[in-house]
Amino acid sequence: MNELNTDVPQSARVYDYWLGGKDNFPADRAMAEAIAQQVPSIRAQVRAQRAFMGRAVRFLVAEAGVRQFLDIGTGIPSAGNVHEVAQELAPESRVVYVDNDPIVLTHSRALLSSTPGGQLAFILADLRQPESILDDPAVARTLDLGQPVGLVLVGIMHHLRDDDDPQGILATLLDALAPGSYLVLTQSTPDFDPEAMRGLAEVSERGGIPNVPRSFADTERFFSGLELVEPGLVPLPDWRPDLGPAQEGGQSYAYGGIARKR
Amino acid sequence: MAEFGSDRGGPTVQRMLVGAKLRRLRTDLGLTREQAADHIRASAWKIHRLENGQVGFKDRDLRDLLDLYQVEDPQEVADTLAMAREANHPGWWQHYGDVLPAWFRAYVDLESAASLIRTYEGQFVPGLLQTDDYIRAVVQGAHLERSGEEVGRRVRLRMARQTLLTREQPPRLWAVVDEAALRRPVGGREVMRGQLERLIDATKLANVTLQVLPFAAGAHPAMVGSFSILRFPDQELPDVVYLEHLTSASYLSKTEEVDRYLHVMESICVRAAPPDRTAELLGRILDEL
Repeated sequence: MNELNTDVPQSARVYDYWLGGKDNFPADRAMAEAIAQQVPSIRAQVRAQRAFMGRAVRFLVAEAGVRQFLDIGTGIPSAGNVHEVAQELAPESRVVYVDNDPIVLTHSRALLSSTPGGQLAFILADLRQPESILDDPAVARTLDLGQPVGLVLVGIMHHLRDDDDPQGILATLLDALAPGSYLVLTQSTPDFDPEAMRGLAEVSERGGIPNVPRSFADTERFFSGLELVEPGLVPLPDWRPDLGPAQEGGQSYAYGGIARKR
Repeated sequence: MAEFGSDRGGPTVQRMLVGAKLRRLRTDLGLTREQAADHIRASAWKIHRLENGQVGFKDRDLRDLLDLYQVEDPQEVADTLAMAREANHPGWWQHYGDVLPAWFRAYVDLESAASLIRTYEGQFVPGLLQTDDYIRAVVQGAHLERSGEEVGRRVRLRMARQTLLTREQPPRLWAVVDEAALRRPVGGREVMRGQLERLIDATKLANVTLQVLPFAAGAHPAMVGSFSILRFPDQELPDVVYLEHLTSASYLSKTEEVDRYLHVMESICVRAAPPDRTAELLGRILDEL
């Protein structure tokens, strides 16, 4: 995982391409374009996901009083990273960023900076090994696990196969967090355009990136044992549009929700 | 379109900006270079050069092209014309023309328009972070200038270039420096001491990221030589790779070439010590000087 390999597509760099970034390579662009063939609205969808994340963090800081975040699947820094949204409202906010791509790690370390009163840390780790995230000294150094944490899993759950035991991974992470912590989660779904999503999943799998769209019911199960906050699990643009800038129109092929740990 | 205030980039990039816009407008309409060329009584080659920002624009040609490309909003036409006119104006570096070869002028121009400057330096401290004593020692050591006056002007030029980092809306500098460049006592111990202290100060700047590539990293993909990659605020502009040679420089902006250099840059950033360790490493090198 420490080795940089640009010969095969990598999720963070594929997203970077869709978001208009330039930190991507031929393999990433080829996959991004192949997926865009299947889902022509993919760029708008990725932006909608980014916008959802912004609204979610705004909600957690402004309405739920959360001041620390664990963001897994950070991606290559772009506009509106978690700490930027959080620290704008509460400069003392602390964020631990986790990604499994070494390019994400180096770019985040080099390009993201905290407000003086806040704190940032960066971890190279994989969601499939949640213990390796929790055991990283940067977590204990940056977050007070006795206090609520916002666990941000945006645009990453669909990279977990059922065999990876996503429920178990969520349980491991949530067990480590204090009561009053929140889970922010998005999950792509075949519910609205099954054919497009099947095509997307196939192209992605062929390129070596697991991609598992899930139904509403399967997604809702990720929140079991937690209290979903209003408006519940909904297509991304429908989640508290009042908290962010106006949405672009069109369909959304992903659900998003926020839930509180009791 | 990107901002293009007079301190945000000289002619070269302004032209690149106007050219990139023209290319986008033309291809959006599915027009060939030949069709565009016919419209302004020129060759397809001329269109190619205009779109690459390699030549200046005449008002009339630009108006005719915008007309052909169905740009009807008078404000947009006026803005584009203004931008093209600005592109024909000299940058601040013109004052240093006689000590600044044309190939380096273009670099200074591009650098001042960049939003992100990534650089790998194997032998020198990065130019934007050099002290005047260090610059003087480099210029004298290379026997680049004969008279003391010329040395002085070259030093002032370098210093003028450095104001880039402290202007309003400065670019971000992300530099990887080989340990060799930090251990070589350019100008002697005192000069190097001052230079290392300057680097330690620079690590505190919000828009400067410095990573040390230690000897312990062993062989690495950038050993072949120093290079920079410039990124611009306008998404339509390609990243530009800059390679400096003794008597000339290369500018690479073809996707395949940029990809190769970006890969090398990413590789050495992964291998180099993380930026939060830089001040400590520089302090150690300073102690051992």
